[in-house]
Order: sequence, then C-alpha cells, then structure tokens
Amino acid sequence: MKKIALIIAIIAGKLVSCLSRIVGTGGTSLPGKIALKLYPQILNHLSANISEEIFVVTGTNGKTTTTNMLAGILKQKGYTFVHNRAGANMITGITTAFIRATNWTGKRQIDYALLETDEANVPLLLQQLHPRIVLITNFFSDQLDRYGELETIINLIKDAVRDTDIELVLNADDPLVTHFKNDTGLHCWYYGFDDTKYDRVLSEEGREGRFCVFCGQELYYQRFHYAQLGKFSCPECGNKNPERNFTAYSLNLTPKIEMKVNDIEISSPYQGFYNAYNILAAVSLAKLAGIEDEIIQKAIAHLKPRAGRMEQFNIDNRIVTLILVKNSTGLNQALSAINTEPGRKTLFLALNDNVADGRDISWIWDADIEQMTNLNSNLEAIVCSGLRSGDMALRFKYADAPVDLIYIEDELQSGVKKALSVATDRAYVLSTYTALFVCRDILLKLQQESVASTDRFGEKQNSSESQG
Amino acid sequence: MAEFIIAHLYPELMNLYGDRGNIICLQKRLEWYGHNCCVEAISPGGQIKLNQYDLVFMGGGSDREQKLVVNELVHNYNELKLEIEVGLPVLFVGGAYQLLGKYYESSDGVQVPGLNLFNFYTEREKNRLIGNIVLAASLHGRPFTVAGFENHSGRTYFEDEDLKALGKVISGFGNNGQDGQEGLWYKNLLATYLHGPLLPKNPILADFLIETMMNRKGIVFKGGLDNCIENYAHEQTKKKILG
Repeated sequence: MKKIALIIAIIAGKLVSCLSRIVGTGGTSLPGKIALKLYPQILNHLSANISEEIFVVTGTNGKTTTTNMLAGILKQKGYTFVHNRAGANMITGITTAFIRATNWTGKRQIDYALLETDEANVPLLLQQLHPRIVLITNFFSDQLDRYGELETIINLIKDAVRDTDIELVLNADDPLVTHFKNDTGLHCWYYGFDDTKYDRVLSEEGREGRFCVFCGQELYYQRFHYAQLGKFSCPECGNKNPERNFTAYSLNLTPKIEMKVNDIEISSPYQGFYNAYNILAAVSLAKLAGIEDEIIQKAIAHLKPRAGRMEQFNIDNRIVTLILVKNSTGLNQALSAINTEPGRKTLFLALNDNVADGRDISWIWDADIEQMTNLNSNLEAIVCSGLRSGDMALRFKYADAPVDLIYIEDELQSGVKKALSVATDRAYVLSTYTALFVCRDILLKLQQESVASTDRFGEKQNSSESQG
Repeated sequence: MAEFIIAHLYPELMNLYGDRGNIICLQKRLEWYGHNCCVEAISPGGQIKLNQYDLVFMGGGSDREQKLVVNELVHNYNELKLEIEVGLPVLFVGGAYQLLGKYYESSDGVQVPGLNLFNFYTEREKNRLIGNIVLAASLHGRPFTVAGFENHSGRTYFEDEDLKALGKVISGFGNNGQDGQEGLWYKNLLATYLHGPLLPKNPILADFLIETMMNRKGIVFKGGLDNCIENYAHEQTKKKILG
C-alpha cells in the first residue's frame, strides 16, 4: 500500500509539474505541496536514491549562488544530481526538485542532492532526510517579520543538527556562525578569507553579531571584510575565528573575481565580495566531495551569473545590470559594486513587500544608501518602482539625493523604460524577489528589440532622449 | 541657526529593524529647516545628563539586550521622570516602549520589571503580531493617520484609564490586538510598536517632535517643507492596507 501511495504522489507531482510548465506559471512549489499532502514521507523515500552525498546549504545570503556553483562543478565532473533552483528553497520546492529528478516509480539512482534550504525549513528537512553536510553561509537580519528574531532561527537550526552525525561547513569569518561547533559538538570544517585589500578597519554596517555569543562582551575586530564578517576576537573569553580548512587569499574583485583557495587558482566572471564568499563555499564543498582541482577551476571559470546575480543585458549599446536585493547587506554590497564602476549611471529600484520579499521594508533604512549620493557616484537618475516605490524614494531623499533626480513609477514596465530613457553610460536594475523575473522579462524583451533594430538599420542610431 | 542634540540611547544594544530611519529623519528635517542637529550615541555605563538633550530616542532590541538596558536606565529613573514631566520630546519604539511600563514578559516567561514610569504592563504570547498598520490619531484637534509596520510578541495593556494611546487602530493589531489602541502619547513622549521608518512617512509626527524641540529653545516653528514624497509613501502604505 505504501508503495502505491508513493507512486500516486510522484505521478500527481509530475503531472502538476508538467501542467504548470505548460501554463507557464512558476510551479516550483505546487507539485511538491500536492505530493507531500498525498505522501508526507516522500522526501524520506526519494532521498534514499542518492548514492553519494546530500549537501544542504543554508544561511541568510548566498545560498542560491553557492549551490548553483557547486551544481556547475558536479556537472563538469559528470555527476547526476537533484538541485532545487532559483530560490524555491522551502520544503515544498525541495520536494518538487526530487519529484522532477526521479522516475515514475521513484527508484532512479542519482549521485548527489544539492539543497538550498530556507533557514526556518532546515529542521523540517532534517526530519525527512539525512545529509552528510550542512553548510552555513552567514546570518544577517533578513525577513525578520516571517520568523521572529535571528536568535530564534539560529537556535532552531542548532537543535535540528544536534545529536546527528552531520558534518558542518561553516563560515569562519561570521561570529554568528562559528559557535555552532561549541553548541553542537559536531565535526566542523571552516572556510574564510585571509586579509584582503578590500578590508576595512571600521564598519558602520549591521549591528548583529557584534557581541560575543558566549559572554556578551563586545567583540574586537581587527578587520572587517564586510558587515560582521571579519577577523574578530572576544577580549573577555577568547572566542575568535577558528582555524580554517579552506582559506582564500590574494583576492582581486575587478574586473572579475580572482583568488586562491588553498593552492587552487580561481577565476570567475562574477562580481562583488559576497560572490567571492559564495565561490569559496562552493569550492570547499567540492573539495570535500573529492573533486579534482582542474575540474573545479574549469567549472567556476565558465559559470556566468544567473537571473539577478549581476546578470548583464545589452540594450541600445548600453550595459544594463540586473541585481537581486533582499536585505540591507545585499543592497550595500550591490551599491558598492556599482560605485566601483566608471561613468554616469542610472539606478532603477523595484521594492515589493509580498511575503517572498519580506513584508517589512524597514531594512532599506539600515542600508548605506548615503554611499550613492556623494558627488563621485555620478548618479543621474534614481527611478523608484514596485509596491513600495514611495518608501524607496523617501530613503533616497533622506540620504540627501537631489529630489529632482528621484522619479516614482509604481509600474515596473514604465519604470524600467523611464530609467533607460535617461542617457547615461550604465544602468542598474535592482529588484526584490517578486519583481525580479518581471524586470528580467522586460530587459530581455528590450534587448531583443535593440538587437532587431540594430539588424534593421545596420547600426544603432544614437538615442537622443534625455531625462524629463 | 540653532544647534540640536539628539540622544540615541544604547544604539549598540537597541537597534532592530531600521530604527535608524527615525534618527535620520529628524536630523535631515532639522537641517532642511535651517538648523544643525547632531546625534550622540549613549553607551551603557552610568548617569545620562538628560537635560542636555533636545530629544531622546531608543529603539527595539532582543530579550537579552532589553534586560541590560533596564538595568542601565534604572540609574536614570528620577531624571527621566522629571524631564518627561517638563516636556522633553521622547520617542521610544518597540522594546523601548515596553520598558516604560511596570513589567514585561521575556521569552522564557519571566516577568522582567520595567521602569514603572507608566501604569501599564506587557505580557507575551507565542504568535507575533506582524503586518502593516494604520492608526487614526489627532494633534491640536486635527485628525491625521499614522502608517507603519508592527512586529511584536508583546501584548501591552493599560491599567490607568487616563493613559492616552498614540492612536486608534484602523487596521492592524496595536498594543495587544484587542482593545484597538496603539502606542502611548504622554505630553511630548511618543512610544509605539511601529518600528523602523515611522517618522519618514509620517511627517506630521516628525514635525510634532521637531516643533516641540524648537519651542523649547524659544524658536518659532514655521513648517513649510515639501512633503510630496513623504505623503506619497504614506498614502501608498495606507492604500495597500485599506484597499
């Protein structure tokens, strides 16, 4: 009977998955939701088909990019794997990924499972399947409105891994992550950065994690890589960065990411310090999976940024970059990456407050928007869009952006068009999650139109539109 | 041009959810009115000379941090009480609001004594009250709305009938999700669960605090800032909640 229930759940899931693909609406969670209703133990069953390892990646930022990179490496090596994509990281999305990867009888053997997992979903997931490794990228205050405070989430995850034989792979630079060792007693691997030329001695960003989790004393920081990630020690109890198993050094961020991890030379077309962390995390996992250096190097060098991870479009001979922003740390990182690029710039920001974005938009006030409003940032227009365009515009106004550069266009399509009508050297489209794919479609369409018109006229006519 | 000083109490401990937005708002608006405003971060340790400041602000924090802060503020009890009575502008948000009452319940179910400046108490329930919120308030007899976001597990109950709320809940939860009241308004003290960027998109409240700050220095408040974007954000939030 059990077997029949499982097969019915798989078939239902696969059917819904097919249908939603035909209809064209997302469909990353519904198949899993239905299958879980029909057969609650489905993950337990399907995960037994994984012949090598299950890797779970969690933490606030970098989950998607880290798992994407590891997927690229495993693909390069020729392994098969289950991988939940593009932020479908709740239990339902993970179930959907397993259903899509298996066959009708639920028996197909697969080498690996790479599971990007929402922090609050980790306990639920670990009840159903047994990963070899849980990797924790970092903890920043994000989507607090969904789950309460950060501390609660951290404790939830700790309770979920305690008394298992899971190995933890931890960010050695984040004091909110490193203490997992002491509180769980599990075997831990650490990755982190040596000193880099991008470090700061003083940091104004984020408050969380600045106090020692063991004794409450304020931590002393020798260097900050960014936010609370850095070289820290507690003057009271001696808590400090643990010894690293995977160390990144000789970091270069422009024009692309170059660094060494242990002895491996890494080069990637991604941008930004946070992506260097994601690469380091993926390389660490790949090494733990026993994959050869050459394969890792090759895969990382060929992986291009995905939707919203600094994805570039060419529209009317201008580079337009699409960036997903979810919280103040991510926004800070995106803005400082933008600031390192030359030329006059247009900024478009879509701020939505649907559940998947986080309903509380207070975080925009924690972001260092002020870094964009000094004279050197060469901003010529700031177009605010989305369901909370007004709050975003207000944030820029109070960061001293000239009010005549601020435009409010609630509607995404007209907002993007408004932004691109201002003649600048570069344009950046920043968006929260639920507006991201709409923005991406708008940019793809504009890119196609721009290619078509170039084909028709032989060469592109200069746009003479100016801001109005 | 006058000089104003805002005391930001324990920002290292009490600073959740973009509370900084309120400080930035007061500072910028004072600047745009032609004055100077600096913010002094008050760290734990000893007596605070409250009468040196034009406004006192404190934000929200987690349980552990809230406890540390009560112990700090106890040293300043008498002066805080006196200054509030003589009209010091004060803005206390979230956890800071709870500290003003008789006690609040922490996550482990313990009743932690508050400053007992006002006759109210805060209990705690497991499910948090989360979401956008709109209030009906009034100032000098003129009605206005307050729009913001709340996220709290505390349920605050007034025991003194004379205590006046910041506003009546039009949509949302407020002090306890039951009696339709939100926050506390006493003389020039505002305390509320509406966290983060409360003042930026509620310029009437921001200007109320600023007007009081100016009047206490003998400066006449003339108003007159362009609130286009502020009102846009306010109306957008309101429309989202009320439809």
